[in-house]
Amino acid sequence: MTNRERIMNILHFKDADRLPAVHFGYWGELLLEWAEQGKISKDLAIGNYDGSEKEIELDRIIGWDCNWSRPVGYNNGLFPPFEHKVLEVLPDGSQRVQSPDGLIERIKPGTVSIPSEDDYLLKDREAFETLYKPKMQFFPERIDLEYFRNFNNTRPQDVAVGLAVGSVLGNIRNMTSVVGMSYLIYDEDEDLFADIVDTYADMQYKCLEAVLQTGAKFDFAHYWEDICFKNGPLISPELFEKYCAKHYKKRNDLCHKYGIDIISLDCDGVVEKLLPTWFNNGVNTMFPIEVGVWGDQFEPARKKFGNGLLGVGGMDKTALRKDKAAVDAEIERMKRLVSLGGFIPCPDHRLMPGTKFELVQYYAEEIKKIRI
Amino acid sequence: MSIINEISENLQTGKVKAVKELVQTAINDGIDPSTILNDGLLSGMNVIGEKFKNNEVYVPEVLVAARAMNAGVQLLKPLLIEEGVQAKGRVCIGTVQGDLHDIGKNLVKMMMEGKGIEVIDLGTDVSPETFVNTAIEKDCQIICCSALLTTTMDVMGEVVKCAEKAGIRDKVKIMVGGAPVTQEFCDKIGADCYTSDAASAADAAVELCRSAS
Repeated sequence: MTNRERIMNILHFKDADRLPAVHFGYWGELLLEWAEQGKISKDLAIGNYDGSEKEIELDRIIGWDCNWSRPVGYNNGLFPPFEHKVLEVLPDGSQRVQSPDGLIERIKPGTVSIPSEDDYLLKDREAFETLYKPKMQFFPERIDLEYFRNFNNTRPQDVAVGLAVGSVLGNIRNMTSVVGMSYLIYDEDEDLFADIVDTYADMQYKCLEAVLQTGAKFDFAHYWEDICFKNGPLISPELFEKYCAKHYKKRNDLCHKYGIDIISLDCDGVVEKLLPTWFNNGVNTMFPIEVGVWGDQFEPARKKFGNGLLGVGGMDKTALRKDKAAVDAEIERMKRLVSLGGFIPCPDHRLMPGTKFELVQYYAEEIKKIRI
Repeated sequence: MSIINEISENLQTGKVKAVKELVQTAINDGIDPSTILNDGLLSGMNVIGEKFKNNEVYVPEVLVAARAMNAGVQLLKPLLIEEGVQAKGRVCIGTVQGDLHDIGKNLVKMMMEGKGIEVIDLGTDVSPETFVNTAIEKDCQIICCSALLTTTMDVMGEVVKCAEKAGIRDKVKIMVGGAPVTQEFCDKIGADCYTSDAASAADAAVELCRSAS
């Protein structure tokens, strides 16, 4: 069987000769760490990103079959983006930077961290109408139509390939920060936040429609959201339903019309409270199910939603920083989840600094021994 | 509904303009500033904190309520100083060295302020020495450390060691929290308190300040 067949079979509750060894990429710092340890070449560590040739080469060295988070897509960001520029250098060496999303971030060169969000441009209706709305429109340049017209012949045939279908709220949160998003929701112009979400979603629908109309075939659709944290969602489930549900439904109905029945969504954190909105509107595959750091779980969700809910992820990646016994324990836990059907283990986020190269190889080798 | 209740209700729905106007009216009406603070603003923020703990409200509701509270507190501040009103305790808070993420830290800060605690915000990327020196200089009862990343949480252990070295461990409690932090980790590094959410952190800080005084 090819890995594509294995993945599609498992997610459709059919037999497979074995589990595929699926991963979710790496922190860049880990690859540099491995290069320093002599595990991989420095060349392989630099410029290694999801779907790059270097990543595929590293997959081969480690023994991975594929990276789930490697969908193909279109430009669903602000078009054109804001200029990425340094606004100010502070006395401690950190910089205030305007991001392509119009967020003012503080970064510190040499410090590996999610940037601190200092300010944002999308504060009121005027900023939306003049700065953002024009950048949230559909333009043909957002899509490489020629690529998609040839896609069925040029795509790798042995791995499942997803189509990135964008985001409903996560990217807007990226444009405003959590604080800015919160103020926009509750500030006096009650319609403003809905207008922002609707405008951004309508553009993405048009992009998706244009891609699917080329005849390109995909194994799954894949959203990115990241709208939850350790204690649950970053927005109330009621507001999430109110602003976002219809857009998931519309986009997912379109995917279904074109034969895509696996619709995956990447959201970090504990996602339980938002799952009803996603699941009831066509999203059926949880990813990456962050069990290790955030304590998310697949089994309770499966119990609640039944076999219609699939999962990719759920393997505690922190075990890969420990020892063989910890990895073995995780593999045993994975066996139980695999036996539920419709579930493919994958480290529950990008592998982080401190992860042991040999343990990753060991995990990839062992997970492939599990038969379905 | 009394004006104090109105302040509390409007704060809970994040109505910053209304809270400001009501607080000003209450001041003009001669209501004791401590009453406006405790029974209006802090009482409203307490309701939000409890609801947040119980997943009845979420981060946006906390943020807009805290914004409304701060707007009211700004009006009251000079009067409270004049009256000699004391905070329930003093905490220095920051995100540990190497970590620039601050929303968790900011939520804890808002919740603690909502409990009437004075919070000295050291920002992000804070060294162990800065935590400890601030606690000494500003006479804080608590050092509160936040981290988002598994790669930076170990700095919290350095804060504990630094406090031990400075000889303040018997006087200053160390609280830890953030995405990857657990009770097990708190115990391992010898910190005093871990809570899983911002509202519980504020409750714990009130208790720690009370036991320190």
